[in-house]
Amino acid sequence: MLASKRLGKELTKMHENLAPGITKIKCDDFQEWLMDIRVDDNPLYHGEVYRLKFTFSNGYPIEAPEVVFVRDETHPIPIHPHIYSNGIICLDLLDKSGWSPVNNVESVCVALQSMLASNTKNERPPGDEDFVRTNRQRPRDINFVFHDDKV
Amino acid sequence: MSSASQPIPPPNDRRGSRSSRSSSNAGFPEPMNSSDIAASESSGFVVGGPPGSPSPLALRASTSPHRRKSRGARIPPDFHLLDYVNTPDSNLICLICHCPFDRPVRLACEHYFCRICLDHAWDAQPEGCKTCPTCRHKVDADEEPLPVPKILERMLDELLVRCPNSKLGCPWVEQRSNLENHVMLYCEYALVECPASDCRLPVSQKDCHKGCLHYSVSCDNCHTSLLRKDLEDHQRATCQFRFAPCPHCSAELLRLDLNAHINDVCPKATVQCPGSIVGCKYSAERETVAEHETACPMATMAPFFRDQQARIERNEARFEPLVRKVGILEDGLSNITNMLYPANANDSSFPVTNPLDSNNPDAFPPAPLMPTPDFRLPPASFPPAPHNNDQSHSQPPFDSQIHHLLTLHDSLRDELSRVASALSELEGRTSMMIMNENQRVKEEMLHTNAAINGMRVQLHWLMSATLHQRTSASASSSATRAGGSASASGSGRSSASGTPTTGGATMRGPAVGMPPLRRLSDSIRQDTKL
Repeated sequence: MLASKRLGKELTKMHENLAPGITKIKCDDFQEWLMDIRVDDNPLYHGEVYRLKFTFSNGYPIEAPEVVFVRDETHPIPIHPHIYSNGIICLDLLDKSGWSPVNNVESVCVALQSMLASNTKNERPPGDEDFVRTNRQRPRDINFVFHDDKV
Repeated sequence: MSSASQPIPPPNDRRGSRSSRSSSNAGFPEPMNSSDIAASESSGFVVGGPPGSPSPLALRASTSPHRRKSRGARIPPDFHLLDYVNTPDSNLICLICHCPFDRPVRLACEHYFCRICLDHAWDAQPEGCKTCPTCRHKVDADEEPLPVPKILERMLDELLVRCPNSKLGCPWVEQRSNLENHVMLYCEYALVECPASDCRLPVSQKDCHKGCLHYSVSCDNCHTSLLRKDLEDHQRATCQFRFAPCPHCSAELLRLDLNAHINDVCPKATVQCPGSIVGCKYSAERETVAEHETACPMATMAPFFRDQQARIERNEARFEPLVRKVGILEDGLSNITNMLYPANANDSSFPVTNPLDSNNPDAFPPAPLMPTPDFRLPPASFPPAPHNNDQSHSQPPFDSQIHHLLTLHDSLRDELSRVASALSELEGRTSMMIMNENQRVKEEMLHTNAAINGMRVQLHWLMSATLHQRTSASASSSATRAGGSASASGSGRSSASGTPTTGGATMRGPAVGMPPLRRLSDSIRQDTKL
């Protein structure tokens, strides 16, 4: 009840204005939203549009939403040392230790934008192929070790 | 969680629970099925209550939001689910629930949250290292939350909200501070239990007096079967035949409103001139009547007449209790009169004569209400008022009983003053008389004194003459003659007492002048007095 109420409010606010480079694609229900982000000021990602999938639990906003990049014909997965090629993002903001209920969909998008914008390394995380091949866990169940304070 | 906080399960659940309820406790409210019980155990949900179950106000004060009365199903409003009329200021928004604050708290880092939101956020954090959700500043969760500025609370209180039952039709829109009172006490659209004792379905408070509306009816127009309580909504919103053309103006409108339309609005319906209450006979289509109305004097006067009529009716309604009151008072007064003059209640010989009385002595209060005068009669046993109305013809010639009593009082007062003046006159006369008598006695006394003095002088003269004779007699015998008459009197007296030779003479003297001697002593006393 609270989650849908809060998401409804976020949606109304997003109807009014959204930060530049962020577009809402599909926000029909209060379970799963699709958002597009663009990062044009970093030459690595210039011209690309990345699609994010937000999955909300009933505990939102106390619990963090599950946020992953999704790939299709027009939307690649950005290359970044903390983003696996299956779309899973290693970011403390999205982990339950780093999540705060004051965050919202838009602020998560902005955080991801800034994470991409500040990146200079055109590479995947170490062990990406292994992880992508073996991981069957959902992102929120993975215990990431946050070591990089630069992002 | 939402299902746990919902005290009224959906109706189909209720039906299931009703059929499965054991007959042993049919008279006892048992509104939960097993799934509800499971929910209640986790949420502290309290069902039913002792005979003196708490009032709505007490309920409101209780901390558990899931309590309910046994009869009504009113639940305190959840401020997070409210519908605000205007978009609230962004400074009044809790960043966690994105709603205006509900019982806000302030953290040391000057960040504000709803109490509940902050508790939820901290529940997710490990024990002992609670942080501010906004700035991740470390917070001691055991400390009392800091007080929130009053101005913030006031701004929150003044936010305009719609009633949570607005979807059921409640038009209430007011400041948020009044919401709880409205929802808990006044809202007509709040769901309460059906008045029928064997029905457990919820019904709006405003329909409560209509009895149980949970029976099937079929819509007259579309023949759909539905519950009676939903019929109006159905006819208003969903029935496919709900629209009907007006027979007069052929406007398309809701069947439900058709009668109201014809009676009040429809321009083609035949109506009477509003002046008909004063006698205007004009009657035509509403449009024509509207034109006629401007010219018709009776229609112009009609509102005034209606006002007058209403006022007359009001006054008449007020008049009747007054009449009754006057009757009761008159009764009481006659009883008092009878109590004051119990012996004379039946005859005309009143203790105080009254000028009015003499004109018509027979008409004096004959106490017809009390055949046997009883002066201990308590005032509560006054006869009923209407009974007295018949007696009003045989009332004494006074305006009222009070007037009569007042006249009596006045004549008594006159009498008293008359008596007082007579008394003072008498007193004056008496004192005058005493004074006169006194004067006379005094004069007499002076006369007497003067006489006594005269007699004393005479006695002296006699005594001295007697002594003189005696001395001259002895002198003739002793041939010595001396003394003036003036000194002879003093020596004569001393010799009278001192010389035994003169004792015979003195003994003889008193025998002759016994009264003078007594007078002598009197005169001496008088001398000392003078």
